[in-house]
Amino acid sequence: MPFTAKSGKFSASINTLTMGTGEKAIVLGGENVFPFYTFDAPIANAPKVGIEITDGGLEAEPDCVKKYYEGCTTVADMAKKAATFEGVDFLSLHLEGGDPNGENKPTEDLIKIVKEVADAVDLPIVISGCKNVEKDAEIFAKASEVLDGRNAVMLAAKEENYKNVGASAGLAYKQVVGAESADDINLAKQLNVLLTQLGVDAKSIVMNVGTAAAGYGYEYVVSTMDRIKAAALQQGDATLQMPIITPVATETWGIKESVATEEDMPEWGDQEARGIDMEVETAAADLASGSNAVILKHPESVATIAKMIKALI
Amino acid sequence: MGKFVVIGERLSTTAPIINKAFTERDPEPVLKRAEQQLKAGATYLDVNIGPAESDGEDLMKWAVQLLQSHFDNVPLALDTANKKAIEAGISVYNRAKGKPIVNSADAAGRIEYLDLAAANDAICIALCNGEGIAKDNDERMMYCQTLLERGMEHGMEAEDIWFDPLFLVVKGMQDKQMQILECIKMFSDMGLNSTGGLSNNSNGMPKAIRPIMDSALVAMAMMQGLTSAIVNPNDLRLMETIKSCDVFKGNTLYADSYLEI
Repeated sequence: MPFTAKSGKFSASINTLTMGTGEKAIVLGGENVFPFYTFDAPIANAPKVGIEITDGGLEAEPDCVKKYYEGCTTVADMAKKAATFEGVDFLSLHLEGGDPNGENKPTEDLIKIVKEVADAVDLPIVISGCKNVEKDAEIFAKASEVLDGRNAVMLAAKEENYKNVGASAGLAYKQVVGAESADDINLAKQLNVLLTQLGVDAKSIVMNVGTAAAGYGYEYVVSTMDRIKAAALQQGDATLQMPIITPVATETWGIKESVATEEDMPEWGDQEARGIDMEVETAAADLASGSNAVILKHPESVATIAKMIKALI
Repeated sequence: MGKFVVIGERLSTTAPIINKAFTERDPEPVLKRAEQQLKAGATYLDVNIGPAESDGEDLMKWAVQLLQSHFDNVPLALDTANKKAIEAGISVYNRAKGKPIVNSADAAGRIEYLDLAAANDAICIALCNGEGIAKDNDERMMYCQTLLERGMEHGMEAEDIWFDPLFLVVKGMQDKQMQILECIKMFSDMGLNSTGGLSNNSNGMPKAIRPIMDSALVAMAMMQGLTSAIVNPNDLRLMETIKSCDVFKGNTLYADSYLEI
């Protein structure tokens, strides 16, 4: 009997979602196959790579990243510089300084930075919160307002604050609403349902379903993303067809493999190379598991992952 | 495994209000019932225009176009003893949301409905019944084979033939109920899709009892591998049961709001 190859193309597809506006706007999703399965059907929108800077500016960056931003004095300067690095599709401004358990910067100060950064670059912008649900609700509301018309991503609404974030970012200012769960497929689905029931357009939702640095319980990340893509494509589950965006830098630059100095761990070799390796390995695995976009910190990681995507699609 | 396919049964000439609307080509009652069923979670809508001997072709075309234009090309099951009316319905049918279902063939006088479905790339409900009610599962499976072969001879994919074991009424045929459930398991073991008029089991029972019986039976039948049923989607208890069984079977991913979607 002749062998007939069966296509793994599905009748359902991932939603297409536009980030940003104008010439620099990017589109996530749209595929009707598993990640990188271009042999089953073409993938029109390749996964995208974002670069992360923080409200802490240059000081907050690891030493090995600082040299890339030489001469920058403000966060907006860094944003401008970041936009020129090879492979950067979008910019993520991580407002970690807002955390009440950390620096607890006032929302107004953070929003001032948001505005300066937005004025400095025309790339699509992601605003990443400080992880405190009350503060984030406040930050996202204000950020949505000052970024009106920029089609920015608010990363992200959680179970505890989805009503506030959905109402301000999604309903009032028509920004893209991130929906964050942590390796919990049922919650990932539930959040999407709740946001759409609130009136947020399903096509304006992007999911952050969680990640971990490679080697840190990463199996859960793979199975979570796998099952979400399977439900979205095989079962045609419209409540899980949102594209996935994964912040990688926040996971990988805090672990010992990236933090330990060469003096402390001579057998581990060059610290910068380790940091890049952890970031690249994690990002590559996230993309292979189903992320439509990843957020990285080191310019070399960004260039490497962008090259990988280009080679595969 | 895909989600259980609910075929809404409420657009039928057996309902006087729908019969009248069909005769008078009055869109309003038809659209109202269609919307109620879709909101409640029906995937397909059955359009039963009865024998429709005189104007079946015109009526089926009217109904298909009316429903598909109002409800985003909702997929439909075309249900009538008038074969020409089914063909007429398919001629104006939009497949964007799913193939049309021909309802239905049997292993006796209506076997040609399979040929019709094959010629029109439609799904066909295949009732495992000949003349009179099959006496046991040997007989049902013989009909199943006959129907399967007929469809495949005409170029159909096995997955497009949805086998109907013929659900029987409990009041009068209680002793046959487990047979039907076993028959569904046989279909499932062969990898075949199945459907049927499940609420037939509770015919003649008090109104308050029927949802309970229908829900219990649908759960047992889904356990056996039933993949679809022609039911009243506005029976809340039944739909809640189907959605819950879909979760247990892994056909849908659980979320706390699963009953609302």
